[in-house]
Amino acid sequence: MQNHRTVLVCQETPCLSMGSEAVYQALKAEVERQGVANAKVDISGCHGHGLCGHGPSVVVEPDGIFYLQVDAKDAPEIVSSHLRDGKPVERLLYHDPVTGQAIPLYSDIKFYKEQQRVILRNCGHINPEKIDDYIAQGGYKALEKALLKMTPEAVIDEVAKSGLRGRGGAGFPTARKWQFCRNSPGEQKYVICNADEGDPGAFMDRSILEADPHAVIEGLTIAGYGIGATQGYIYVRAEYPLAISRFLIALEQAQERGFLGENILGSGFDFEIHVKEGAGAFVCGEETALIASIESQRGMPRPRPPFPAQSGLDGKPTIIDNVKTLANVPVIIDRGAEWFASLGTEKSKGTAVFALTGKVANCGLVEVPMGTPLASIIFDIGGGIPRGKQFKAVQTGGPSGGCIPAQFLDVPVEFDSLAQLGSIMGSGGMVVLDDSTCMVEIARYFLSFTQTESCGKCIPCRLGTKQMLEILTRITQGKGRDEDIDTLLNIADTVKECSLCGLGQTCPNPVLTTIKYFRDEYETHIKEKKCPAAVCDALMISPCQHTCPVGINVPKYVAHIAAGEYLESVDTIRERNPFPAICGRICHHPCETRCRRGELDDPVAIRSLKRFAADWYFDHAGELPDPEPFPQTQSQRVAVVGAGPTGLSCAYFLAQMGYPVTVFEALPVGGGMLSIAIPQFRLPKEVIQSEIDYIAKRGVEIRYNTPITTNFTVEDLRKDGFEAVFIAAGAQKSQRIGIPGELEDVDNFHYGLRFLRDIKVGRQINIGRHVAVIGGGNVALDAARTALRLGAEEVSLYYRRSRDEMPVTEVEYDEAVAEGIRFHFLVSPTRIESDNWRATGLQCIRMALGEPDASGRRRPVPISGSEFYVEADTVIAAVGQAPDLSFLPPDSALERTRWETLVVDSNRLSTNIPGVFAGGDFVTGPGMIIEAIAAGRRSAIAIGKYLRNDVSRVEMYDLKQRHNGETADQEPGVEESWEIQPRASMPKLSAQKSKRNFEEIERGFSEDVAKQEAKRCLRCDLET
Amino acid sequence: MDKVQQVPKPDLKQIEGIIASCKDQKWPLIPLLQRIQEEVGYIPPETINPIARAFGLFPSQVQGVITFYEQFYTTPRGRKVVRVCRGTACHVRGGKTILKLVKQNLGLEEGETSPDLDYTLETVACIGVCALAPNIVIGKETHGNMNPKKVSQLLGDKKGSG
Repeated sequence: MQNHRTVLVCQETPCLSMGSEAVYQALKAEVERQGVANAKVDISGCHGHGLCGHGPSVVVEPDGIFYLQVDAKDAPEIVSSHLRDGKPVERLLYHDPVTGQAIPLYSDIKFYKEQQRVILRNCGHINPEKIDDYIAQGGYKALEKALLKMTPEAVIDEVAKSGLRGRGGAGFPTARKWQFCRNSPGEQKYVICNADEGDPGAFMDRSILEADPHAVIEGLTIAGYGIGATQGYIYVRAEYPLAISRFLIALEQAQERGFLGENILGSGFDFEIHVKEGAGAFVCGEETALIASIESQRGMPRPRPPFPAQSGLDGKPTIIDNVKTLANVPVIIDRGAEWFASLGTEKSKGTAVFALTGKVANCGLVEVPMGTPLASIIFDIGGGIPRGKQFKAVQTGGPSGGCIPAQFLDVPVEFDSLAQLGSIMGSGGMVVLDDSTCMVEIARYFLSFTQTESCGKCIPCRLGTKQMLEILTRITQGKGRDEDIDTLLNIADTVKECSLCGLGQTCPNPVLTTIKYFRDEYETHIKEKKCPAAVCDALMISPCQHTCPVGINVPKYVAHIAAGEYLESVDTIRERNPFPAICGRICHHPCETRCRRGELDDPVAIRSLKRFAADWYFDHAGELPDPEPFPQTQSQRVAVVGAGPTGLSCAYFLAQMGYPVTVFEALPVGGGMLSIAIPQFRLPKEVIQSEIDYIAKRGVEIRYNTPITTNFTVEDLRKDGFEAVFIAAGAQKSQRIGIPGELEDVDNFHYGLRFLRDIKVGRQINIGRHVAVIGGGNVALDAARTALRLGAEEVSLYYRRSRDEMPVTEVEYDEAVAEGIRFHFLVSPTRIESDNWRATGLQCIRMALGEPDASGRRRPVPISGSEFYVEADTVIAAVGQAPDLSFLPPDSALERTRWETLVVDSNRLSTNIPGVFAGGDFVTGPGMIIEAIAAGRRSAIAIGKYLRNDVSRVEMYDLKQRHNGETADQEPGVEESWEIQPRASMPKLSAQKSKRNFEEIERGFSEDVAKQEAKRCLRCDLET
Repeated sequence: MDKVQQVPKPDLKQIEGIIASCKDQKWPLIPLLQRIQEEVGYIPPETINPIARAFGLFPSQVQGVITFYEQFYTTPRGRKVVRVCRGTACHVRGGKTILKLVKQNLGLEEGETSPDLDYTLETVACIGVCALAPNIVIGKETHGNMNPKKVSQLLGDKKGSG
């Protein structure tokens, strides 16, 4: 005899919107048509919680098999293959996103495994429109027990012992409220279920009502019995039509079976439930406003005391409880307070249901015991942040809550811990935000919501929200003023203190928490008119251009390529960046991380397009007119120390402004780190030379082999008639690791930077067979790959942090892995072993990631007892570089910080000596190429101002430009297509071909490929 | 040629009937307004006085309740009400852009109804389908995972449809 199977098709609003009704009908019809006798098809609530994006979902019980994205067309196969022949349909199963393996049982899927479903116990397992399904799961047993075996006081006592706290947001002890009400004088009392789930981003109450309405009915009735009320109400918001209709069906059925009405189950207790629909007012979620709304009045809150427990609906003692609170009650009565109190933490018992949404892989309802850490909910259950973005903050508790940043990810989620952080548990909404979310804009968004929903009764709330909204809006439009942040804090405190109801008292929380944890973002908007997340439209031409530290007009140069206008493209780039060929090869392209095309399929290959245009220029330089020197319109001469990217950029931009500039370079070649450190296979020497030659042709004088030393000082430059000096001497001093055995005299021990430089200038270095590289940055990675090309048999890289924290691009890492470099993460060397002045190996210890620090980065801590030894006949240390100030005379008046760098004003890059400026790696330590160029541009602007006696701030921003009639419609050949077109892939030498030589790996786009790729640009700059 | 629909005169008899059927309820005003809205499509201003009279209220009190709640309208709505969700999840997933596109496609601003009474455009604070953000609701149907292509497919170019 075959087992009987039940096929449950989710019919909650999300799945219904994706066609699950048709799936249900199709499956029913197929079971009949194929004559499968031992299977029945039924509707259910959501079992796909978390995988709603992959609906419609179907579950086959009792197997516990879970199907996703089921279409009505799949019905015949499911019936014949699974129900009739017992073979599940593999292609419809859940597949692990990383391994691709099929996971047939939902109980094995990580998303469910980690949850503990108490409130959501029946969701997805029963047909909510069949009371018998509910009863079969043990439904109404608690009601029976309460009415027939317990006194009302005993019921309240049990709830008290369980420690249940209200799940509507405030977390008030439920039993205490019930007791107040029971003690209040009066015959007529009321129980109200608050199902006005107005928090945007919260939908657990909707789900419970659609999937398990009887749980709420049972809870309400038991509550009524406990406090002595014979009338119950449920107030459901009108935006939930399906929840309302399912609840009404359940009411009718409960009535029919005698679980409601007069003399329930022969106990003598009468109870009636009435349904009231909301009419679109968020404030009616507040209990006194809700009561007013039931009384058909304007939903405005009333002062408390008196509390509803004493005087509520119709002036009678009333209890108002949230859907989730009431859904807990039957379970507490049935399984006992002790069982319930065993879940959760000391002060927050039981479980909590969160609606996890936003920038997270698995969106849905998550139920976990109180005290589960945030990180667990977001990463383990939620699956982390999609599309390779970074976690930025999580908003809990809806518009009444606050934004919690990365450093608190380990916080256990419960009422008090969240309150301490400035947020609230609230109704359980948990919206995850990533690095493409602007925190100022989010605060503005929440304020715009609460401002609209403010009932207007209290002046601080009514006017305060309007004022805060106005200020926040101004800031996002680039019209922020210096005093705005303090004004916001002031108003926020007033609104919090002086408002009558919860809406006013909590609506400033998003503002307060974002200012507390993301104040720098506000300041950047106000002072620099920059939105780090590239969201605030009014501040930018396009997200890519805005994110670029030098503000290259990316859409313009990309559009030129699409149109075949390559010279115009290079000229556009060179308005802001004199190193297009170099950046086109090695820039870490922050622009691409904000490219909006990336939201559709892949970001436009902005960096590689830049390379294409630059390479085209240099390939055709012979046919093009020779670059002319910039006209010299000024007489004041400027000296630049250092011909690296920062120094040369500064010189270039000063020349562009008309100033005569001389660059002093200690080495025989220019390029700084580019020439010293970056290997040929990433950046050929010839490319660097071409770019420097171009800059020289534009009128910049470069004197090689002319170091600034204690004999030829900065002072001397001033005396020689240079009216301003810019020091951009870079950061080329290797940091020591600081471990025993780290001796430079050891024969085959090298510092990474010196190692790379020696190779580049052609010195002979002996490489052993087993190379150990210590470090995880660009220098370490380049050193490792260089060692391989010099003939090492095996190269291992040891980094004390994890892969996620390596500051190298995806592309380089993948190439290194393909070449065979072995990566060992969370390993730190403790000693370099050597024998007779030759390195022989490394003592190491394993690390674990500890508590996050203020930036959210987890600090690595050694795991004691995990020491191990690795053999290595060559050791290369690349754990960081620092500026070397030794060329400055010891009596130099230039002010230094205690970290041996120069004190420099961050806006003007000026030192304490007027006319002397410093910037780039020399001031900040090692940075990225485009940041170096940005420092050069900033200093040029600053020096220009200085020489004109202009004391205003340096402003480097480009606001939204109004285009003169140019629209996407007028662009020939630009088809606005929403079809997925993946990014062009860069032709490369294979790892096999490249790993033993220094030939450039990336070959560059062909003209056709470049044009095609350029056409993928969505022209965000033309958006009005 | 623009097809401007004549607003049909409200059937006061029908409304008197609805009022009468609600008279015995406790706190009947909001349920009554909800029913009128359901059956007539909006709450005609002419009904305020009869309602006030029936329940012993001042017309201003009735008006006060109507204007407090977002879901009550005193002008006729289009046959299809398009609601774009502006909840948090929909917002962080691009809801603003969807609204912009819907506005473009329908040629309507928020709160407006097309002259031919085909469409009304509104925003709604959250419909609770956050897992499929961004969402819009057309009539009674929810459409999730909205993107520009879907907006075009669902709403086409309805500007000046007549």
